[in-house]
Amino acid sequence: MTTATIPTGHNALTGFFKKSWVARTLMPIAIIIIWYIVFYTLDSRIFVPPHKVFAFMWDELTLNTPLRYGSVKSSLYGMFGITIFRLFTGFTVAMIAGTLIGLAMGLSKSVNAFFHDWVMAILAMPALVWGLFLGLVFGFGHQAPIYACILAGIPFVIVNVREGVRNTPKELFDMARAFGVPQNHITRNVLLPSLMPFFFAAVRYAFSVGWKGLVIAEVFGADTGMGWTIKFWYDAHRTQGVIGYGLFFVIFALALEKLVFEPLAARSFKWRPRIGDIGVVEEKFILDPTIDGAGEAEYAREGGLDG
Amino acid sequence: MVTTDERPGGAQRSAEEERLLARRRRETRNRWIWRITGYLVVLLVWEYGFQWFMELVSGRALNDALLPGPRRILATFPTLLEDAELFTNFGATLTRIGVGFGFSFIAGSLIGLFAQNRWLDNFFRDIVVVSLTSPGLVWALTGLIIWGFKPLGWIFAIFMTTFALVSTNISEGVRALPKDLLDMSKAFGVSAMDRQRHIVIPHLAPYIFTAIRFGFSIAWKVTVLTEVFSSNEGIGFQMRVSSQLFRLDEFFTWVMSFFVFALFMEKVVLQKFEDRYFRWRQEVSVS
Repeated sequence: MTTATIPTGHNALTGFFKKSWVARTLMPIAIIIIWYIVFYTLDSRIFVPPHKVFAFMWDELTLNTPLRYGSVKSSLYGMFGITIFRLFTGFTVAMIAGTLIGLAMGLSKSVNAFFHDWVMAILAMPALVWGLFLGLVFGFGHQAPIYACILAGIPFVIVNVREGVRNTPKELFDMARAFGVPQNHITRNVLLPSLMPFFFAAVRYAFSVGWKGLVIAEVFGADTGMGWTIKFWYDAHRTQGVIGYGLFFVIFALALEKLVFEPLAARSFKWRPRIGDIGVVEEKFILDPTIDGAGEAEYAREGGLDG
Repeated sequence: MVTTDERPGGAQRSAEEERLLARRRRETRNRWIWRITGYLVVLLVWEYGFQWFMELVSGRALNDALLPGPRRILATFPTLLEDAELFTNFGATLTRIGVGFGFSFIAGSLIGLFAQNRWLDNFFRDIVVVSLTSPGLVWALTGLIIWGFKPLGWIFAIFMTTFALVSTNISEGVRALPKDLLDMSKAFGVSAMDRQRHIVIPHLAPYIFTAIRFGFSIAWKVTVLTEVFSSNEGIGFQMRVSSQLFRLDEFFTWVMSFFVFALFMEKVVLQKFEDRYFRWRQEVSVS
């Protein structure tokens, strides 16, 4: 920094470091430095420094990997396409079935008692179990990963939709009835808007959990897809492949969040005064663990972010 | 519930209460009936309908060993107990969870507390997001590549998948700290230690419990995954071995036994701790 020679340079420098974007960019830099330190102190033959990972990712993006590693036939886009196809199929089924079951559970106490424990059981099951089991039952192909994706995602949809139904404001219903509002208007203007935040929470969590479940199922029950590719590079002792695909995974998840979910949420919450209301709903649950069933919704929301 | 037009007349209120009590009792009975029906239906379908369903979906008849019903799983359980395998494997898995989650709980709490500072919050934000969005599989494999079968490998994997969860919960709690109470205690000259003990920790407690509950459930899943790749004992290892030998009855016995154990830890042990800790709060007794 040349400004350091000016008398006010010290202030300028500390001011520069106090900026929030500087703080954010320092983290990746710190990680890369630690990575290099680990790399040079470890003396491992298969661990790679960051620049190799980035070179690998660039090769994948420009479809040059088959040139560099002769036996590789797969490409990033092909594998991504297969995984996304499986993800959307599983996700759609989970959303439809989960919404139906969740609505029924929210509206009727008997249905709730019928399904409750089993939904919780599926929720608490690691995706590994589905991956190993379905891989054996269905063999390699689309089926095992898709079913694993459904099973991983559906409890989150059910729990969130049920919670949404339970949280619809009773007074508004009573008032609407008192003023003789027709049923389809009540559904459209009262029930759906109050369900929306929960529905979006369901979409997000079902997506992220379903995807993680899918990747694990692809390791054990498929011969194509992202999970299989990660395992392929692991078996080939190419660390750059494992970490590189992990980074692709993160990038895709963030892009989806920023480009699809956030605009969608913003659009459907336009009528609300504050956009942060989803956060408020979740906070309320965390603050008040004594509400019946709140712990489970919370569990479903937070517990889903795993492998 | 039905408090809107309740008059202070004694007799009427008791009748009302009576009615309410009867309704609640009826509801409880109803709930239990439906719950037991749910268990029965699921278990029966699992035992008898599953084979048929799988044949329908996959288009081929499956060996009984590939689709064990609940009866067969229950029958396999004693053989595992006899070999005393159960305890060594449970022990191995629990050690992994304890050590890995212990580290990530400490580090996650620290990062959560750091979030009070805006700069540090910005500094840690991206790594928390990466930790929340990335699949556990990548961390398990990466840890294995870097450190091999050494403990650091699985500690790294469990750490990377769970610390963000702890830190987000704790930082949420820190953000919601009651400023007015802190200011008042400062004005009245309460010492810093007492302030921590009587205001900050009781306030953070629910967040800490939430963090432990989620953290445990996720640590379990990741631990099992790391054991598949880098262990010679533990539940995950046994799951892999039994599935490779096509012994799905054993596979499900392992899964179920640990599953029941995890539910027990979560719903009973942790709940007991929580209830005990929150005895001073009135809301608990209401609900």
